[in-house]
Amino acid sequence: MTTEKTLSLRDRQVDQATSRLSLAYLFVAFSAFGIAALAGMLQAMVRGGLITLPGGINYYQILTAHGVLLGLVFTTFFIIGFLFSGMARTTGGSLPVAARSLGWSGWSLMVAGTLMGTVTILQNDASVLYTFYAPMKASPLFYIGMALVVVGSWVAGWGIFAAYRRWRRDHQGSTSPLFAFMAVATMLLWQIATLGVAIEVLFQLIPWSLGWVPEVNVLLSRTLFWYFGHPLVYFWLMPAYISWYINIPKIIGGRIFSDSLARLSFVLLILFSIPVGFHHQLMEPGISAGWKLVHVILTLTVVIPSLMTAFSLFAVFETTGRAKGGRGLFGWFGKLPWKDVRFFAPMVGMLMFIPAGTGGIINASNQLNAVVHNTIWVTGHFHLTVGTSVALTFFGIAYWLIPALTGRRLTSTVNRLGILQTVFWTVGMLLMSGAMHYLGLQGAPRRTDYTTYFDHSTALGWMPYQQLMGIGGLFLFLASVLLIGILIYLGFFAPKGFTEYPIGENGDTAEVTPRILERWPLWIGLSAFLIAVAYGYPIYELIQHAPPGSPPIRTW
Amino acid sequence: MVVQPGIPQPDRQHPQTERKDSSLKGTFAAVLLLGAFIVVCWFAVFSLFVSRG
Repeated sequence: MTTEKTLSLRDRQVDQATSRLSLAYLFVAFSAFGIAALAGMLQAMVRGGLITLPGGINYYQILTAHGVLLGLVFTTFFIIGFLFSGMARTTGGSLPVAARSLGWSGWSLMVAGTLMGTVTILQNDASVLYTFYAPMKASPLFYIGMALVVVGSWVAGWGIFAAYRRWRRDHQGSTSPLFAFMAVATMLLWQIATLGVAIEVLFQLIPWSLGWVPEVNVLLSRTLFWYFGHPLVYFWLMPAYISWYINIPKIIGGRIFSDSLARLSFVLLILFSIPVGFHHQLMEPGISAGWKLVHVILTLTVVIPSLMTAFSLFAVFETTGRAKGGRGLFGWFGKLPWKDVRFFAPMVGMLMFIPAGTGGIINASNQLNAVVHNTIWVTGHFHLTVGTSVALTFFGIAYWLIPALTGRRLTSTVNRLGILQTVFWTVGMLLMSGAMHYLGLQGAPRRTDYTTYFDHSTALGWMPYQQLMGIGGLFLFLASVLLIGILIYLGFFAPKGFTEYPIGENGDTAEVTPRILERWPLWIGLSAFLIAVAYGYPIYELIQHAPPGSPPIRTW
Repeated sequence: MVVQPGIPQPDRQHPQTERKDSSLKGTFAAVLLLGAFIVVCWFAVFSLFVSRG
């Protein structure tokens, strides 16, 4: 194939200007991923008692670097880059100029914020972990950097909205492409959810860290953080669901099970993933049991769209597997394309979401939370959700997205290496997260450096499992190095050619998608109502009957 | 579309499927198993809570 033909095929999927924008986001995402993976491996080895850090480096410093760079930076940059590319792919191959300009403005703000945050962490002035709980106080530059990342992501979200508005204007009366709908839903959730952390950082933490106010209302700051912290998990998950709903059916040679079901699940995620933050604060004083119960009920409601997604995916796999000759109750399972990394990596992520989601239901149940709260079980839990289900899906996307955007080919060798990388990642995570779950049930705490608690017999009994965590961390680091190597090859050195940007088609052509699903003001209004019900009075109480304020504390 | 070595291509013999004429027995069994897994794990941790209470 000539270079011209290759370029023209690529441009028919996503034009060059959008490809550049999307790749800029992916570049920062995987740069942050590389640093965070190194920090994660060191951290697992230290906690396992296998190494000690060389002079001056503190455990909580690398723990903060790992959490911030993976949980906040890698995910947000990857998601925005992926969503811009998919918006262009499904709305005519390009983005309007306004959307691209907003995309670049957002990228610049986010990069500036990331650099500020990273530098303060490396200087050991912000070892406050990724939740940056007050009264631990970081350098003001850390909070300002995080605020810039959030504001930049809002601006990028407005770019997604601009592209969607142009499509709606040009196709009045038509249902929007499923990818565009889901991208808008994801960025809408993000805009609503980040209001909490923005208020916390702008009005509480920055003035307090600058010394303008002497004390901070710790309970209010934690409540505002978790108003954001739980939907943050769905902000990670929704792009993975987009890939499962839209890309995977095309990759396996099937069709989307139901366009309406997919849209409804995203609407439910907008409604029910925000007014639930108290399930992260079940053991905290100062919030009444009744309000905690309201949040627990709403948390269990948000399980429904995830179960709808599981049903829908099983249905896609079964119909496709049966069409390929699968017989019996589960014969279709073996007919899926297990040797294709574009399917294999996300599919392992999907399967791991079964124990991951189950762990989430356990965390959110009041009595069960008393068993696992602040133990390393919770760390094991989110290493299964974001660290496995989401991460493996993002890796699976990157394997086809980067060559599709650079006009290169995903070769058979890269495909095999990608499968090996997925296996290393999965083995590492099973060892590490499995040990964390087990230790958590024994009461081993999270967020602590290596210690034997003066050789207490209980703590000594944890040590073999902590070593297992360290070994798991080594496997994960190996998988990370392999991934970065593969992505550099795919971005700069793979043979020129065409890689498909897979977009599935709706399987039920007779189905008419209800127009109400696209009435955003209705869903935004309902979401605001639920938030007001779940948070209005409790926040009023937290301000009116505020606990004593706390001066800043530096614990490291 | 260009054929890529090593990457399984959509099956031309069995074109992309329509959902209507396909059985969903396996899907039904899979979601029941998923539900059972959640219930078993929930009660396992609940029993820990009760035993430590």
